[in-house]
Amino acid sequence: MTIGTALRSRLDTRSDDYHANVAAMEELWAEVESELAKVPSIGGQRYVDRHRRRGKMLVRERVEALVDPHSPFLELSPLAAWGTQDPIGAGMMCGIGVVEGVEVAITGSDMTYRGGAANPTTWAKGHRFYEIVRENRLPLIVLNESAGADLPRQADLFIRGGQSFRDLTQLSKLGVPSITVAFGPNTAGGAYTPGMSDYTVFVRERGTAYLGGPPLVKMAIDEIVDEETLGGAEMHSATSGLSDYLAEDEMDGLRHVRAIIRHLRWNKLGPGPSEPNDPPLYDPAELIGCAQADVRIPFEMREVYARLLDGSRFEEFKPRYGNKMVCGWGSIHGFPVGMLGNNGILFSEEATKAAQFIQLCNKRDIPLVFCHNITGFMVGSKAEQGGIIRNGAKLINAVSNSTVPHFNLMVGASYGAGNYGMAGKAYNPRFIFSWPNHRIAVMGPKQLAGVMDIVARNAAAGRGIEVDDEMEAQLQEQAAALEGQIETESTALFSTGRLWDDGIIHPADSRTVLGMAISAAHSNVVAGATEYGVWRH
Amino acid sequence: MSEITTLLIANRGEIAVRIARTARRLGIGTVGVYSEPDVNALHVDAVDVAVALGGSTPAESYLRGEAIIAAALANGADAIHPGYGFLSENAAFARDVEAAGLVWVGPTPEQIELLGDKVAAKRTAIEAGVPTAPMLEIEGASFSGALPDTMPLPVLVKAAAGGGGRGMRIVRSNDEVAAAVAAASREAESAFGDGTVFIEPYLERGRHVEVQVIGDAHGNVVHLGERECSIQRRNQKIVEESPSAGISDETRNALCSGALALAQRVGYRGAGTIEFLVGTAHDGTDGTINFLEVNTRLQVEHPVTEAVTELDLVELQLLVAAGAPLPITQSDVQFSGHAIEVRVVAEDPAAGWLPSTGTVERFMIGDAESGPGRGDGVRVDTGFRDGAVVSPDYDSLLAKVISHASTRRAAALTLARSMRSSQITGLHTNLDSLAEILVEPDYLAAATPTAYLDEHPHVVAAHGPSGADEVALLVAAVLADEAWARPSGAAFGFAPTGWRNLRTTGQRQVWESARGIARHIEFEVRNGAEQAGRERRAIVDVDVAIGPWPLPGDDGALPDDQRERAAVRILDRDIDGDTMRLAIEVDGRRVRVEAGRVAAPTDEVDVAIGGQLGGQTVHVRSAVGAMSWTLAPRFESHDAGADGGGPICPLPGTVIAVHVAAGDRVADGDVLMVVEAMKMEHKITASSDSLVTEVRFAVGDRVDSGDLLVALDQPGQDGNEGGTA
Repeated sequence: MTIGTALRSRLDTRSDDYHANVAAMEELWAEVESELAKVPSIGGQRYVDRHRRRGKMLVRERVEALVDPHSPFLELSPLAAWGTQDPIGAGMMCGIGVVEGVEVAITGSDMTYRGGAANPTTWAKGHRFYEIVRENRLPLIVLNESAGADLPRQADLFIRGGQSFRDLTQLSKLGVPSITVAFGPNTAGGAYTPGMSDYTVFVRERGTAYLGGPPLVKMAIDEIVDEETLGGAEMHSATSGLSDYLAEDEMDGLRHVRAIIRHLRWNKLGPGPSEPNDPPLYDPAELIGCAQADVRIPFEMREVYARLLDGSRFEEFKPRYGNKMVCGWGSIHGFPVGMLGNNGILFSEEATKAAQFIQLCNKRDIPLVFCHNITGFMVGSKAEQGGIIRNGAKLINAVSNSTVPHFNLMVGASYGAGNYGMAGKAYNPRFIFSWPNHRIAVMGPKQLAGVMDIVARNAAAGRGIEVDDEMEAQLQEQAAALEGQIETESTALFSTGRLWDDGIIHPADSRTVLGMAISAAHSNVVAGATEYGVWRH
Repeated sequence: MSEITTLLIANRGEIAVRIARTARRLGIGTVGVYSEPDVNALHVDAVDVAVALGGSTPAESYLRGEAIIAAALANGADAIHPGYGFLSENAAFARDVEAAGLVWVGPTPEQIELLGDKVAAKRTAIEAGVPTAPMLEIEGASFSGALPDTMPLPVLVKAAAGGGGRGMRIVRSNDEVAAAVAAASREAESAFGDGTVFIEPYLERGRHVEVQVIGDAHGNVVHLGERECSIQRRNQKIVEESPSAGISDETRNALCSGALALAQRVGYRGAGTIEFLVGTAHDGTDGTINFLEVNTRLQVEHPVTEAVTELDLVELQLLVAAGAPLPITQSDVQFSGHAIEVRVVAEDPAAGWLPSTGTVERFMIGDAESGPGRGDGVRVDTGFRDGAVVSPDYDSLLAKVISHASTRRAAALTLARSMRSSQITGLHTNLDSLAEILVEPDYLAAATPTAYLDEHPHVVAAHGPSGADEVALLVAAVLADEAWARPSGAAFGFAPTGWRNLRTTGQRQVWESARGIARHIEFEVRNGAEQAGRERRAIVDVDVAIGPWPLPGDDGALPDDQRERAAVRILDRDIDGDTMRLAIEVDGRRVRVEAGRVAAPTDEVDVAIGGQLGGQTVHVRSAVGAMSWTLAPRFESHDAGADGGGPICPLPGTVIAVHVAAGDRVADGDVLMVVEAMKMEHKITASSDSLVTEVRFAVGDRVDSGDLLVALDQPGQDGNEGGTA
């Protein structure tokens, strides 16, 4: 017996409104896509060519040569550092794929951007990636070549940068295997990447590792030494023992990785899929038209569910109570999930209903998918007197202490405490993916500018200043500027650039991406919480 | 009159299966015999019980007349059918069978003896008034070397006991005659134990036409029309048909009446064939007719006669052998339409029709749509199936495929389609050549002299599909492999094939066809939308580029991509174990393909190639042709080379060349040995400059994956190198 009954879509895919919205959404996606296209050669054609001239593969070419034939690969945070001084993608590749039939995490440095040297976003992206590796218990493959830290920027890097080595050894302690292939230099602190890995593969005549390179050695102890003697692949394979496998070339290095993964005989700890994984009755391609390009226009969350869930089947929880929070059970690619999505702002009923639903899913060990389209909790005297804080606290308690995997799908706005109530970034979801129309901030830009305007006017009034024409113009200008600034700072690209999510995806790919994320989470134990904080009844 | 209740079939292969089929239809019990290699052959499964003869060569098995008679007696058989070949024209055996109180399904021993001697047979034919060129009998060493006026040059010297072209010499000048006679006689003496030879006119250009007759013990004989079997290689027929489309009705009547007269003269009992060569005159009309010989048995090509007469020749054979009168008279024999038979043979036409041996991996004859031999109007007679072994000990005939239609053209085209759709892997076959002959304009115009194959080398060199057909079959193989490689339970198996959220390249693979052509293919599933998960029936768009992908030049830059592009749609994929039916569209052209794999490409092949990803073969067949594609391994194995031991065998196969000997110095990249595996030649090379210490296999040796092929000693690996004494 399957879970739930099929949702009936009421979306009119032939209407002008629908087509206009799809066009606007596609425009948003086109911008994301053009940014994504820049990433593989972000180092510049000259450096890409130089890399290839040396007979080396680009990091994404190595991934293509490593993963199983026909398998999918989900790159994480591909647009990290967007809108910052660091290169888009942060000069490193992170992702989840399949090697020898095992779901693995793969990362690699992009040697074409400043010699693979780490920048501050590299550190942040790597930190997030290790978090994903650890929480989901994914075997880790590091395709490494790096000049080390980007020295001029050491101040932003050095102190926290050491954490990746700690992460590696702690992974090892947890029984999560790590394999590092040295395709090129692993210098200074970078030498600890192979040093801390369970398995190391060095590519002959290419991979090197040393704490100090020949120039530093000359400086420090006046020894004149060549690279191979100091830290070459053959030396480390035959003499120092840092290299476990000596590869003949890059392809051979990848072959060794596959052989190592094979001998892991890796077993996932989660229960895996248990439901039929038939496609939705409604085409997932229509997801792009389900959400609104303009987040101020509300939309029906069940239309999203109808294109996200297997067979469009959904068993709704408390449909007549707190109906602005759409909760219920379904499955994605056979994995049972509890769905939470917003059909409006959070009132007390919505908050308590969601808290109860989260507790039920924890009792049943069912992962949760939060579909954000939330502008916040209800305000006003009626809400306050009705205990909105007390009831909101129940929801925060539930999402904070829930231990089943959480997945965030940003299908619209995620403003204010609504983001917290929906288990946003600060609540440590396993994965967060955003649609290109996503907006995120403490509140909507207009509201924020309006609030600031009122505050300014009240301050003026408190000081007995009368708002004259000149000041009025100034206040309006300030408000408009602030609104513009917040608008820019709440876009999906801004958010993904700051690693507030794990990537912007095409809405039509949501089932694939969520399926991979949930499947990856099932690599670890899927177990619900037994304890929570004190409930404020 | 002695009714046959149980029949021993003293043969193997397709003819044993075919005889058993009629016996079963008539309710007659069947006893088979088998040699040791045939213990699980199809013909053994076709009979009720079978008796082991032991051995593997014919002499050790199917030629052991005594053992066969004993088997018949011990198993309650009351008759023996010899099929063709083996003991079928052995008069002594026929005599022994009758002496044992069993029914011999064939002519009397005396008839076999008389007609088996070509000189005596021709003498009898001349006496009976059979149309034929004259014959000059050579009396031992008394031959003067001079030809009489009745025997103009060129002439043919033939052995009385001969067959299959042995003991035969063409003579074009008078002074060569004596030497040719002596040589042919010597050859005949050594081959057949009888040095008797004779001379007859040599017809430069002609057709092989033969007449089927059947007679009973009561003096009744009918002819069942003629067959033309002109298309031959090495004097062996490969395409046969009835009626002959290339002779006049006058010739036809002369041949049939002559054959009937000869049979009547000897009181012929059973089925027999009178063979003629019909010369072609300069104006293209029928010229001289020459009687060749009488085959006192059922012929390989008898099904074409059965098709046009709607008679069962084996049934008639059993009837007359049991002493019953023929149930038909000449006027009952009616001919309808045209039938063509091709012989599918394990041989390599392009390599001079060299016989091919080995294990048949996949044996699919006929229409891919409706299963082997069904639905496409062809009859398939075979003794083979998947996994059967073609050994040098026995005939290399794999199957006979017979079409029957109202016109010759329809019969030829139907059979051509069947040949294109057929697929036999594991060894070389003449399928591609047969498919080519059947659509070749001269063949369709019935311009088929015995020299047909010599005059049409392109049909011999035919190698199956090309152009758009080859591309379609490649794409089908790739997409079939993809579906097999990702079963629904695979990790992330729900995601569209090769899905990427940040794409740099498509999926790149190199596939090699059985004839050694490598094709690079890059493909990408276009899916702005998820393609309804793994629903095989959903239409999936695939962008395909064929040809080597751009590789960095000396400056590291990639050249412009100028590959051929194809827009592919997967319309349907229906998986049934190791068989898959696909409907794909390539650039707007829809093709249905049946794909098959011999072994699951997961464990077995994986182990065989040491995790190199690849090596699996996908066989594809469709109405446009059949091909086998093997995925080139993604990775090379460097293990043994890295250990300094030398190259290890990548795949199980056979050594076909050895280029080095112990003591040789070799350089990095030198070819040491060539191993043929999976129908491809794999060059085994040195991975560094080294010294050959031992060549561990010789040409023809079987090698297994993982075997060290050539032991190498690498400088620097040897601890003593450079040391002091």
